[in-house]
Amino acid sequence: MMQSQIVSRPRYRELAAEDTAGAHLLIVEGDTLAPGQMAALAAAFAPVADRLQTWLVSAPATALALGKVRKLQTVDEAAAALDALQEGFGIADRLYLQGTEPFMWSLATVAGRAGLSASQIRMQHAGSLKRRVWCTHCHQTTENVTTNIATCAGCGRELLVRDHFSRRLGAFMGVMVDAEVPGEVPQREEVFP
Amino acid sequence: MIGETLELTVVAVDDIAPSLRHVRLAAADGGQLPPAAAGANIQLRLQGEARTWRNAYSLISQPGRRDEYEIIVRRVPESRGGSAFVHEVLKPGDRLVASWPGNLFAPQRTARHHLMIAGGIGITPFLSYVADFAHNGTSHALHVCCRESETGTFAPWLQACGDLNYYWDADGHRLDIPALLAQQPAGTHLYVCGPAALNDEVIQAAADAGWPASHVHCEHFGAALSGGTPFTAFLSRSGIEVEVGESESLLEAIERIGATAPCLCRGGACGVCVTGVLEGEPEHRDHYLGAAEREGGQLIMPCVSRARSARLVLDL
Repeated sequence: MMQSQIVSRPRYRELAAEDTAGAHLLIVEGDTLAPGQMAALAAAFAPVADRLQTWLVSAPATALALGKVRKLQTVDEAAAALDALQEGFGIADRLYLQGTEPFMWSLATVAGRAGLSASQIRMQHAGSLKRRVWCTHCHQTTENVTTNIATCAGCGRELLVRDHFSRRLGAFMGVMVDAEVPGEVPQREEVFP
Repeated sequence: MIGETLELTVVAVDDIAPSLRHVRLAAADGGQLPPAAAGANIQLRLQGEARTWRNAYSLISQPGRRDEYEIIVRRVPESRGGSAFVHEVLKPGDRLVASWPGNLFAPQRTARHHLMIAGGIGITPFLSYVADFAHNGTSHALHVCCRESETGTFAPWLQACGDLNYYWDADGHRLDIPALLAQQPAGTHLYVCGPAALNDEVIQAAADAGWPASHVHCEHFGAALSGGTPFTAFLSRSGIEVEVGESESLLEAIERIGATAPCLCRGGACGVCVTGVLEGEPEHRDHYLGAAEREGGQLIMPCVSRARSARLVLDL
């Protein structure tokens, strides 16, 4: 489900530090960390360790990380912290994100509002394939969707979850599945575990 | 006014510095000119006695202005003749044929801040940028490297500039490019226009500092570099052979014999004039072809590039 014919569906790559002169901020969704993954990240970011900050979000208390470490409880808290960065971002800075798509895109959109361009943000998917879904009918978003068909949290319609992705909203498109024949809703299956 | 070319009249010429001539142009029929955005240029057909030059010049008039176009032309000592023609021959009342405005160097509209570095006459596209940014209240800074005697020359076009800095070649007055590029906020777009050495230095310094390439923009003035060793070009489709002289470009030689070749920027940037090479080895001087295309040797940009071999056979 990480591959799609739909070109708006983002692709993610293994994180690697870009050796630029700016500040490097790595934000990791702690509860998606597989064993050994933090060590892999530490190796990948060793070249920029002196100008690296690592934010661990919802990580086990014992988790270790590289650079100057900050621990945060939730993605909302991390987003608020990103938004509140006094000094702002520089043109040579880089932001690296690792976690589920809703996690990464929540932070990427905040960073974008702070002026960071897409070319300064790198992402590596980890953990669940769950999706944030945006309803094309009521424009509300539904979180933590793991099934091909989901009930919209805004209007209650049964939505077919598509691969079309909005970088602005950090969400996949959901369209009413039984618009043609009301009540004819296909079998709901867990496809984004 | 609609047509492939524009008919212009010279309204005024004014020497604003010993080697800089300001030229004001209006539509020959007294009508409105096509609007042009910041960074646009036009190509003028300069009809000399022995030859014709087609040179591209940045428009420095207020973006969107439709009654007049303004350009500034520097007289180049090793000129191929176009700039000398503008300085010595062109006078008010003269008619000129020009292209429609083209724009290969438009400002990035999503930028939070525009950082401009100009070298010498490379300031001209930024004169229209500054007018645009000042009008729209967009954050900007202009850093100009020029002769000490020319720091006031462009003042009439820069009165609205929010952050204007001059540098020249003397101790304490040189631009420290790495220092300037080190402390710029995210969302900044960098533009450089000047001699090749300055352009290259700025682009390299930005890459070294970690600027994303998507935020670094450059305009070269390449046509001045299109001369070199004479060679022969054979146009295989037309069956015509043409000698390319040392002070004319391949494109100009093709035009001289009456063949029409598509072109836009005449500076090796836009890619419109790209032509197939069937035989011979091109000497690439453009900024358009990628490394693989250059090595392939199958394509050439006749507006600036020449030949390493004595003869080139073109698919034209």
